[in-house]
Amino acid sequence: MAYETPRSTASVAGHPIHPMLVPIPIACYLGALVTDIVYANTAQFQWTNFSQWLLLVGIIFTVLAAIAGAIDVIGEPRIRSIPALWVHAIGNVTVLILAIFNSFVHTHDAYTSVVPTGLTLSVITVLILLVTGWLGGELVFRHRVGMKPEDRL
Amino acid sequence: MSVPRLGLLGAGAVLALAACGPAPSDPARQLGPNPYLPEQHEYLMPPMALSKPGGWAPEQTPTVAPGLRIQALATGLKNPRRILVLPNGDLLVAEPQPPDPPHPKRPKDFVMNWVEAKTHPPGKAPNDIVLLRDANGDGVPETKTVFLKGLNAPFGMALVGGDLYVADTDGVLRFPYTTGETQVTAPGVMLTDLPQGPIDHHWTKDLTASPDGSKLYAGVGSNSNITENGIGAEKDRAAIWEIDRASGAHRLFATGLRNPNGLTFEPSTGVLWAVINERDELGPDLVPDYMTSVKDGGFYGWPYSYWGQHVDPRVKPQRPDLVAKATVPDYGLSSHVAPLGMVFSNTATALPPAWRSGAFVGEHGSWNRKQFNGYKVVYVPFANGRPAGKPVDVVTGFIGKDGKAHGRPVGVAIDAHGGLLIADDIGGTVWRVTAAQ
Repeated sequence: MAYETPRSTASVAGHPIHPMLVPIPIACYLGALVTDIVYANTAQFQWTNFSQWLLLVGIIFTVLAAIAGAIDVIGEPRIRSIPALWVHAIGNVTVLILAIFNSFVHTHDAYTSVVPTGLTLSVITVLILLVTGWLGGELVFRHRVGMKPEDRL
Repeated sequence: MSVPRLGLLGAGAVLALAACGPAPSDPARQLGPNPYLPEQHEYLMPPMALSKPGGWAPEQTPTVAPGLRIQALATGLKNPRRILVLPNGDLLVAEPQPPDPPHPKRPKDFVMNWVEAKTHPPGKAPNDIVLLRDANGDGVPETKTVFLKGLNAPFGMALVGGDLYVADTDGVLRFPYTTGETQVTAPGVMLTDLPQGPIDHHWTKDLTASPDGSKLYAGVGSNSNITENGIGAEKDRAAIWEIDRASGAHRLFATGLRNPNGLTFEPSTGVLWAVINERDELGPDLVPDYMTSVKDGGFYGWPYSYWGQHVDPRVKPQRPDLVAKATVPDYGLSSHVAPLGMVFSNTATALPPAWRSGAFVGEHGSWNRKQFNGYKVVYVPFANGRPAGKPVDVVTGFIGKDGKAHGRPVGVAIDAHGGLLIADDIGGTVWRVTAAQ
């Protein structure tokens, strides 16, 4: 008899989509923090342009990841019963809102595209991601969301 | 509530926040030598109102002040921007095709290119100069010829003796000209290269000659709104160049002028004046565009500061040494009106005497505020070579309440019969204003 794990509804050939997508926004937001820091220190305009692209790509993939994640949550009651899920979800929606806000701040021309508001938002975004990313790991590695059901001897 | 719905709600909240900011004030508070300067405010989404290119219905004209009359001198032109009146009364009208916008370097550039495309009619201008001849002065030209073709976004023009100078976006060209000819076929000689692409943000290069004809003055606008393309892209820009007519050698006559146009010598004092487009995206009432006398060696603030010592926080590194010596401009025209043409009116004998001792300014019109500003030609009265009094609307009605611009004024000139000429780029028309009689 199989040991049941919480099933991922949005998956391809047994691979859940949500964890395939999340590295992209994580890398983008982390990258935007780095390019913001470099811009704040150098005022070389190409660095804020990098930040703007990173934020935009990050936002697009956050939305896609949120859709895949939401489908998993809707499709499987056992995912919804994990308390960490809700902190993970609300935290990442906050990340999305901050990133959109940050993206508009970054449309300011030259230095105020980053300093002080843009850089501050990039820092907060990454700090929240540390928590929500950890909790995402919690869902998979401890609660086995989307893992293959195991045969028990 | 589902996760995507929460996300939508968040995006909505951001957009709602984007609309916040100080209430716009009356542009009248920014006219004259001491304009009201509100607090700076950078928006998540800057306030915008984009005029849609409309065109004129047959017989439809702009509105003129009492006692004046307006007629279309020429219609069907493509992007007419500048008018030069030749000694025999012939008119040269430049029809520049603006350079292609540069490749977007950031997401915002896609939006700004879209804004630019939306406010201009489709189709290309021919990059030529046409000649209009109205020998009897009835306001109906008998002759229209293509005077010069194959140019590169021509804008400023100046004639000194038998030398005609055309400021393309990439340099000042010299052509031989004999009075009465309707076409120039001789190839131009590049007198002086001017800063050009690949960005060429402000591409219009205005041109005038000193009263003694020895020097040329070229307006070279900045390569950005406020250094977002890097300070390196601004080399020799946001300046008025003085060009030696004989050698083509140049020096920077005045700097810190974000986008100087309407270069004209004040007739009683022989002082150079210009109208300046100031920076955007600090609010609906910042920064006032202005007209100013231009001092040799003067620095007028851009990009570091505006209206003297008001520092712009968007510029890094700052230059307090330059800010300290920034000259305060002479006369505010209010924010975002986009003045692109100016002419002194002392020879405007076809207008009532009240209009003959000042300057006409063509205001192309705003995009960076919710209430349209500009889209008209104003008259600034002068006394003793200085502005004396508030601007008066001369020609209005370029934009309708629906936000459709029938036309937009750019260059202004006084013709040989003393009438005021207006180059209307969106309307494709040269307008002529005279006394009503």
